[in-house]
Amino acid sequence: MGGQPLYLEPRLESRLRSLLHSTQLLHTLTDALGSPLNVVVPDQLADNIRQFRSVYGTRHLSGQIYFAHKANRSSALLRRLAATDAGVDVASLEELQHALGAGLTPDRITATGPKNPEFLWLAARTSVAVSLDTRGELEQLATLVRKHALPRSRVLLRLSGFEASGVRVLSRRSRFGTPVSELEPLLEAVERHADVVDLVGVAYHLDTTSLTEKATALEGCLRVLEECRSRGLRPRAVDIGGGFGVNYLAHGGQWDRYTTELTEAVLGTRPPLTYGGHGYGLRNEAGTLRGTLGLYPAHRPVAGARYLDELLAHPAASLGGRPLAALLLEHLYDLHTEPGRALLDQCGLTLTKVLEVRETEAGGPLLVRLAAKADDVALEEHGVFMDPVVVPRDPAGAGAGTRAGVGAGADAGTEPVAVHLFGSLCLESDLITRRTVFLPRRPEPGDLLAFANTAGYCMDFHATRAQHQPSARKVAAWQEGDTWRWCLDDQYWPTTPVGGAL
Amino acid sequence: MRYDSITEAIGNTPLVRIDPAVHGLRHIDLYAKLELLNPFGSVKDRAAWNMARPHLSGAAEEGGQVVELSSGNTAKALAVLAGMHGLTLKSVTNRMRIPEIKDLLLLLGAEIEELPGQSECLDPTATDDPLTLFHRTLSEPDSTYLHTDQYFNPRNTEAHFTGTGPEIVKDLDGRAPDWFIACVGTAGSSTGVARALREHDPAVRVAGLVAAKSDFIPGIRTIDEAHEVGLFDPATYDTIESVSADEAIEGMLTLNRRCGILAGPTGGAAYFGAVRQLRVADQELADEEPAERQSAVFIVCDRVESYLSYVRQRRPDLFGRPRRKNSPADLSDAEIRTAPAIGVADAQAWIATGEPLVVDLRSPYAYAALHIDGSVNIVDELFEELLHGGLPFSRNRPVLLACPVGEKSARYAALLTRMGHPDVRSLTGGVIAWRDAGAPLVRD
Repeated sequence: MGGQPLYLEPRLESRLRSLLHSTQLLHTLTDALGSPLNVVVPDQLADNIRQFRSVYGTRHLSGQIYFAHKANRSSALLRRLAATDAGVDVASLEELQHALGAGLTPDRITATGPKNPEFLWLAARTSVAVSLDTRGELEQLATLVRKHALPRSRVLLRLSGFEASGVRVLSRRSRFGTPVSELEPLLEAVERHADVVDLVGVAYHLDTTSLTEKATALEGCLRVLEECRSRGLRPRAVDIGGGFGVNYLAHGGQWDRYTTELTEAVLGTRPPLTYGGHGYGLRNEAGTLRGTLGLYPAHRPVAGARYLDELLAHPAASLGGRPLAALLLEHLYDLHTEPGRALLDQCGLTLTKVLEVRETEAGGPLLVRLAAKADDVALEEHGVFMDPVVVPRDPAGAGAGTRAGVGAGADAGTEPVAVHLFGSLCLESDLITRRTVFLPRRPEPGDLLAFANTAGYCMDFHATRAQHQPSARKVAAWQEGDTWRWCLDDQYWPTTPVGGAL
Repeated sequence: MRYDSITEAIGNTPLVRIDPAVHGLRHIDLYAKLELLNPFGSVKDRAAWNMARPHLSGAAEEGGQVVELSSGNTAKALAVLAGMHGLTLKSVTNRMRIPEIKDLLLLLGAEIEELPGQSECLDPTATDDPLTLFHRTLSEPDSTYLHTDQYFNPRNTEAHFTGTGPEIVKDLDGRAPDWFIACVGTAGSSTGVARALREHDPAVRVAGLVAAKSDFIPGIRTIDEAHEVGLFDPATYDTIESVSADEAIEGMLTLNRRCGILAGPTGGAAYFGAVRQLRVADQELADEEPAERQSAVFIVCDRVESYLSYVRQRRPDLFGRPRRKNSPADLSDAEIRTAPAIGVADAQAWIATGEPLVVDLRSPYAYAALHIDGSVNIVDELFEELLHGGLPFSRNRPVLLACPVGEKSARYAALLTRMGHPDVRSLTGGVIAWRDAGAPLVRD
């Protein structure tokens, strides 16, 4: 294989680790329900909410944590959420119906994103707070409320295009929200429709890993709220969206080493690390590296609740340099957050069965074909690099002398191997990963490869039924004492576990 | 030394020997090239001047603007040079993490644009990264930008090939040093100096220093980032080693405190990396009979003053100050728990009858937005300062302290009680409880 294997071991907290050690259960599940199979762990969601709550607690902030529904369509997760004190942010009519049906009361739901009339009507009908993207949407809502004699609607104004003073922060452009420069006519519209809408706050949604940009936006919101108050409006909340990130990898050192070697592979100073020499956005121009590495920063020491805490500790330069948390508190504002990915950290995994392990003539990486399509494990689509965990079919005999005639003989199955992972779709492009993946031992047909932590984002976004192949079924799993229990995702309610979640 | 222009003061910096008692090398003389003594404060003065000089007057006629991707010293030098020629500088960066440098650049009249952070939800179809877009703006046909392009401009390297390198040889009495150690930023100084020294003596050993990947040292790139630099050629260096931020600060402190050289962390990294590298060579020399004497040179890029917040963040221990009197930090948990307090309803009655002085400890912005009628605003940081000097109001005047949730006010109520005030109370639950109880808040 040449050199040391470049592992990118997933970070596994105790629940997921325990589940992955339940080899027999995982094989029973995939034997019965097929491969690929998604497993969600609802209890972990409640733990993650507690972590976010503790950040609110130490800073004495009130306000709601809204789980961003779009991250995963699991019913089990949503129903487990309903059994906590958190809320949900929904971005479609179907998600709103799902949330109401899972037991989330309207005061714990907020409607965001692009909206069609039905979605807007049901939100207003049930008195769910609506985050308005544009002035047009505000007019549309006001018309609906009047025409159908609905209750006065609670609204937030989603804003964008915040400017920092002193240093110009070139922020990522957002499709969402009204630019702050168009605030004046927007507020006039709010005042004009005061009989049908009640302004409860402002919001932003910024797709960036940068704390500075988010701090700039939050500071901008504080100024807008002050402007609202000076006009006699009485807003009391800021919704700062999500994007707090997940730390996917167990070891920062592995990530540093991997990315350096990837750089060198692109520059041609080491053998390729990808199928077909793909550079993930990097390219070699006359010996100099150009482009930008288009990968999610998979090892992130500051992610999730800690990211929120750092954002809140950020000083607001234009408001006297006090930390943003102190300003929110002193101004008596509620803080709303909408973490999706970060709330689902460690909440699930995707199981895929190995169908075939093929050696190449040139002695390069093994070709491993999985009973799954690339769309079922869309890690790469999100730039997330993380090794799958091998769950052997026969744990006792894992590579121990049962595979006569393979490679160097009896020990072949215990040596690290480099592999390329392919999907089951009859398309050249159906690669689960374009990169060479290193596994601690050679997988065999029948083994499972478990992609940990995919519940965060990658479970449902892309899954299709191409070639009549089923998309993954979903089960919920929970622990009772030392035993893992499971049921179909649809069957899970917080009352399901005996002596469990409630 | 009389000059007609400050630009004539660029270069010809001193080469100062580091006392062997400090570095402990027995057979190697170690010299520091004090680039911090350039007029704008860093090694980048040379490159900035060499790159910009041929184009400045032309750009001034066109009414253009100097543009550079820089996080600090190059921008500083260019801002001054641009200003001297009636131009402004726009510095585009995503690496400017030192607040003092940002402020200094703004003060010098520069415009700073920060590139946006990475996307949290990656879009695999996005084709252009912000840097590509930046370059596209520069190359638009009607662009009047003067882009100095320090990472690719050969005049960056040339400044050191014709200046810094020959100066070192001259100061070593016409001999090249046996070792040259430099941090890799734009790679301009290390490449240019190395080339000049090797022309003199091909046996010179050149060590490049990069920042450890997980660390941030201002002015130094990590090995991956170095590959993005057009001037960087790995073949220039006999070795490339990495230095951590802690090591850079350790080296900086040695230079600052024991050598009288007020270097910043980059110079500290160069010193630390040099001594680490040379210690091995020194041992090998000691084993030879008779021991040969060698010399080594490292570059001190810039000054310590701009990096105080950087150092404070990593080494708060270096800024320990003596404890002051009457500090809320001195209070025990029990004292805070038993601090005199009053609920919202009772407080309202007390304000009506007892006329306590109501002190709102929140920030002026929050106070201006909404507050208890008749209260005064003394923000907590200021209040703490006042208390170091003693009680700021008469013992005969009752006091009601208010903060957002009653936590800070409880601390100060306990402290004032300890200082001898007979009737001070904290508003339980703070202004938030006040609001939630429906008590009036005004904006006047």
